[in-house]
Amino acid sequence: MAGSTLVNDGQQHSVAELEDLAFELRSKLLYLCGTYEGAVHIGGDLSVADILTALYHYGMNVDPNNIANPGRDRFILSKGHAAVCMYIAMAMRGFFEFDDIVNTYGQLDSAFGMHPCKVQLAGVEASTGSLGHGLPIGVGMAKSARQRNESHRVFVLMGDGETGEGSVWEGAMAARSSELGNLVAIIDRNRQLMTSHAEERVALEPYPEKWAAFGWNVIMADGHDMASLVASLDGLPPASSDRPTVIICETIKGKGVDFMERNLAWHAGSLGQEDLAKAMASLESTRASKGSK
Amino acid sequence: MPVTFTFGEWFSARTIIGQTLADLGDEYPNLWTVTPDIGMTLVEFREKFPDRFIDVGLAEQVAVGVAAGLAYEGNIPVVSGMLPFLSMRTVEQIRSDVCYPNLPVKIIGTHGGLVGNGGSTHYAVEDLSLMCSLTNMTVTSIGDPLMVGDILRQSMKMAGPIYIRLGVGKSDQAIYEPGTHDIKIGKGIVAREGSDVTLFAHGTTVAQALEAADALEKDGHSVRVIDMFTLKPIDADLIEKCAKETGGRFVVVEDHLAYGGLASRIADVVVDRGINLTAFKRLGIPQVFAGFGNDEELRDKHGYGLSATIDAVKAVIGAKA
Repeated sequence: MAGSTLVNDGQQHSVAELEDLAFELRSKLLYLCGTYEGAVHIGGDLSVADILTALYHYGMNVDPNNIANPGRDRFILSKGHAAVCMYIAMAMRGFFEFDDIVNTYGQLDSAFGMHPCKVQLAGVEASTGSLGHGLPIGVGMAKSARQRNESHRVFVLMGDGETGEGSVWEGAMAARSSELGNLVAIIDRNRQLMTSHAEERVALEPYPEKWAAFGWNVIMADGHDMASLVASLDGLPPASSDRPTVIICETIKGKGVDFMERNLAWHAGSLGQEDLAKAMASLESTRASKGSK
Repeated sequence: MPVTFTFGEWFSARTIIGQTLADLGDEYPNLWTVTPDIGMTLVEFREKFPDRFIDVGLAEQVAVGVAAGLAYEGNIPVVSGMLPFLSMRTVEQIRSDVCYPNLPVKIIGTHGGLVGNGGSTHYAVEDLSLMCSLTNMTVTSIGDPLMVGDILRQSMKMAGPIYIRLGVGKSDQAIYEPGTHDIKIGKGIVAREGSDVTLFAHGTTVAQALEAADALEKDGHSVRVIDMFTLKPIDADLIEKCAKETGGRFVVVEDHLAYGGLASRIADVVVDRGINLTAFKRLGIPQVFAGFGNDEELRDKHGYGLSATIDAVKAVIGAKA
């Protein structure tokens, strides 16, 4: 198995430490993609690897030793196909062992499958997979927190392609109408759908303006620059404020592996041993020439 | 809520829902109501518990999604709306956000069947078929307006979701004198005893079935009427018992597609349990878009009104064993 499992002690990490954790997360993703015989949504996993690292190791208050703590921040992986990336981020945060994922992923009766299920895996906040469902669920959770005077936040991670679903915008209106400043949407703006580059099929632009027009507070971030992600999380308005916030993270599908980046062939797939070595080498060289994004 | 009972008296189910929820809101501090702009029944609840009422506007999908989010946090959300939209536009949210994690979301609404004269966009006629197919979902269809309160109250104790279907819900005939029948989710109600034939109904056709039974009694026929208000889980034991006690003669009348609703649920039990029937006749909406007309006219036009029911029962009684 690639690398050791770092169990986070709940302290906030420096940007450099977070970068190391994101590298470890990507290494583990590639390892799983190279050893699991079925397809892994590796492109969209790699585009959110930095975001999930920043959330689980910096921005979110979660406690793997007290999973149901009412004061925890809630995280909904609305782009449920990035489940593997979330599982690994959670393992690195101490929710379970990485080997638990590697040894059972996708197998009969495993808690770890292609799309996350709350019933099957403790620590998952909502069962997701069908796109466009996470934001309305997040609105319900944030409303509940408000009514109970709880001060935690609800984070919902969506793909930009996912926001083609009308229910996302229904949710966006509901969040603004209910003045849910405790709700944070994060967009993985990798500009790719499964079979096309986004703007070829769907006119998402002007994208930040769309969210602003729905009354949301908009923060732009570089989704592969840990300092930018940390600054975005630091810059969130208080949970008690009256506007929901969206952090639009510019990302690259397949980030970190040269032959996967922006390559429509790598929405999902499986790496053989040979390609795994090539992918790892590419990841290493990306790290060596750090600063190139 | 105290009720003075007169059989056949007309009540508004919507009023009873509103009063029941307002009462339950005191009892259950985690009870919420959510509506996509159909909040007329919820005025009392909204005024009493403004912080537990959400009107999302015309957005059924988000109404169900929000309810799921509330339920994940330990709340009991009741989503109230018009069923043609609440059962179809949101079917995936109901399936994947509510049924998959088995959340205690209660979905209640009006316009089940050819009621309200809104045209085919506004009739929920496939809803029971859709809802019965969902894992973890309990499915009910209520005729007696006074019963709605009982069902809502019982549903508060359920760990999973429930679907509660009403007709128009503005003015419905009271059927059961409160306290005289054992009303339990999952158990059919013997609305009328009889030994020649069993006439099954749910929702708005229960009153019609009773009227048919009264008319047939004058001709010397003894018709048992079962209010099978829970379609899922279906009361299979009662079906088997009725087959034995009424000569294996069944008629089903329902304000839903004739295939996919109660008749189909009963047929499943008959096949699965190997029950021997003498005759089986189903009355319901054929595979057509029904058009305009009042409730009674539409039932007659489509062959499941009062006279069609009487004819069907006679035919089944006359069938050779």
